[in-house]
Amino acid sequence: MNTLNDPQSFAYDQTAGPILSAAAEPAVSFENLSKTYRMDRIEVPALRGVSGQIERADTTFIKGPSGSGKSTLLNLLGLLDRPTGGQLTILGEDVTRLSDRAAADFRAQHIGFVFQGFNLIPVLSVRENVEFPLLNRKMSAAARKDRAMEYLDAVGLSEFVDRRPGEISGGQRQRVAIARALVSEPSLVIADEPTANLDTKTSREIVDLMDRVRTELNTSVVICTHDTDLITPDSSVIHIIDGQTAKE
Amino acid sequence: MIWKIALRNIIKNARRSITTALAIGIGGLAALLFGGFVTSIWYGVQTSMIQEQGNLQIYRNGYLEFGAANPDAYTIQNWDQVAALLAADAMLAENLSVITPRIDLAGVAGNAETGNSKTFIGTGIVPSEVDQMRGWDGWSIGQTGTVTGLAAGGSDSVIVGLGMARMMGMCEALAVPNCQDAPIVEEDLTGEEQDFSALVEEEGGLGDQGAGASKPQLNVMAATSAGVPNIARVGIEAAQAQSVRAIDNSFVMMHFEQARSLLYGDSQEATALMLQVVDPAMVDAVKTRVVEVLNGAGLDLSVYHLTEVDPTFDRIFGMFSFIFVVVAIVLSIVIVFTIVNTISMTIVERVKEIGTIRALGFRKGFVRALFLTESTLIGVIGAAVALGGAIIVSNMVNAAGLQWTPPSNATPLTVQLMVLDNPIFAAAVVGTLIAIAFAAAVLPTFKAARLNIVESLQRA
Repeated sequence: MNTLNDPQSFAYDQTAGPILSAAAEPAVSFENLSKTYRMDRIEVPALRGVSGQIERADTTFIKGPSGSGKSTLLNLLGLLDRPTGGQLTILGEDVTRLSDRAAADFRAQHIGFVFQGFNLIPVLSVRENVEFPLLNRKMSAAARKDRAMEYLDAVGLSEFVDRRPGEISGGQRQRVAIARALVSEPSLVIADEPTANLDTKTSREIVDLMDRVRTELNTSVVICTHDTDLITPDSSVIHIIDGQTAKE
Repeated sequence: MIWKIALRNIIKNARRSITTALAIGIGGLAALLFGGFVTSIWYGVQTSMIQEQGNLQIYRNGYLEFGAANPDAYTIQNWDQVAALLAADAMLAENLSVITPRIDLAGVAGNAETGNSKTFIGTGIVPSEVDQMRGWDGWSIGQTGTVTGLAAGGSDSVIVGLGMARMMGMCEALAVPNCQDAPIVEEDLTGEEQDFSALVEEEGGLGDQGAGASKPQLNVMAATSAGVPNIARVGIEAAQAQSVRAIDNSFVMMHFEQARSLLYGDSQEATALMLQVVDPAMVDAVKTRVVEVLNGAGLDLSVYHLTEVDPTFDRIFGMFSFIFVVVAIVLSIVIVFTIVNTISMTIVERVKEIGTIRALGFRKGFVRALFLTESTLIGVIGAAVALGGAIIVSNMVNAAGLQWTPPSNATPLTVQLMVLDNPIFAAAVVGTLIAIAFAAAVLPTFKAARLNIVESLQRA
């Protein structure tokens, strides 16, 4: 059995995985990115010209106080929302104005998500939840199942594959969510407060797991958090205050 | 996986799913049972009419349009030769079970005993052949008619309507239950009645004739084709209720030969030839062949389908079909609202799941497919409930042997809810239920697919 204490390398398919190479440009770069929400007739700026970049195979933390705009930035980086202004480039492609369909396809191919509330589909088993994103790929059911088992094994949940999300602990659910985010072998994993609902010990395990993923899968990881204890000294950090980047 | 998610969500929300499926099922059950009843009407009423009049009828050209004004000008001449011509054709011989003549006539009937008289409308038939027609059950629905009752009597026997028996003062003589005789006319006969009585005497008193002599006697008078009054004394074999009161009050059914000799003497004339086809599926082919044979012989005759001659069937079937459509529309509206409500509630409860699915890179179409599948599955369950329930209830009703009398009939038909006897209809109802379940969910699912991803993910 593979656990966090006895990690096994992810069986990563180099031909179908992340498209970055060592000499490639940053995984993500954003220039003067802004986002304004309109509430009735009032315009509320959430981001005001934020710029920055996320290096390949790096873990980048986005931190800031509540309401600072870090979740907005994360949503833009994950192509869940469109910026009001500025330019966003992911994996060398300008994705600022992608259509809804193109953005969906891009997410399916290149971006994995880990949510604060795990967001597992309650009626599916642990294995089926991990298998779920692979429905977007032309894979046989058997291949999907094998791939899902492989990633569940890697996050140490091979014994729980037939359980429903409601039958496992919060930490285990988040590990399922991580396996689900990784199973399609994305170049970029975006995690929104992935430890907010977990205790300190489990939170550390989750961050360590994501860090190992980054190393072994050569994946860029962006973690939005207000828990500064998770941030290691060598981590890249984007600090957002009042919708703008703050100097570290 | 979509089917798996849909099915598991249906099970997860069992109470709501059952309620919705039951709404669909009960609506479908009502449609299937009523449709089964309409199907039984289609078969039952048509069978009754075919038993009475045959599938096809031959008339002289123009009879249906103008014959009512001058029936004698539109009779089939030498009907026996026409019948022989048809019987000689190999295709028709194989497909026709009965070729029989009919004469429609009208005149005055009187009871010399009571002094009552009134106009009558009558029909002359060959009892043995009409009795054979009444045994027809071309769709194998187990419905056979009663015999005319004329075959047992002599050639001068007749059947009269109950109303006719009452007005002729013959209820007691015929031992008709719940029938009160008209008062005996005491006055002296005058005018035309005197002439009618005198004519009877002129005909030699007619006397008590043949087998009819022991039965209540009725004098029937009609004008011959030459316009001369002719009269016959007939014995009433029985009184039978007719479907329409006006006809019941005037009805006289007599032997074809009696009617023919009364109107046409020795001339072989008939109002119509009734043809009964063995297999109802062959009616059109038989009609085509009859036309070919008649035209080939240069005869001035036309062939009509039963429904062309008598619109009763189309009207009855049309009425029930219209009621069915109205009921089906009302049921459909109820089902649509139930499904819209159910799917909308499901969507509201799963907004976060929708956001997650979209975030994972699934297009809007996947979200639509997810909820449409769920709605369709509920529709399938509801349709299965409807079909299963309809089979059970129809068997119970059919076993109960309930009866009803359609407007065209004098005798009641047994209620048969023919749910599976019309598999196309049953399949159409089942398919429509599923289609409604699918279609009703389209609008809510489109709205679900258009939900903003970020807002969906923020939903608790």
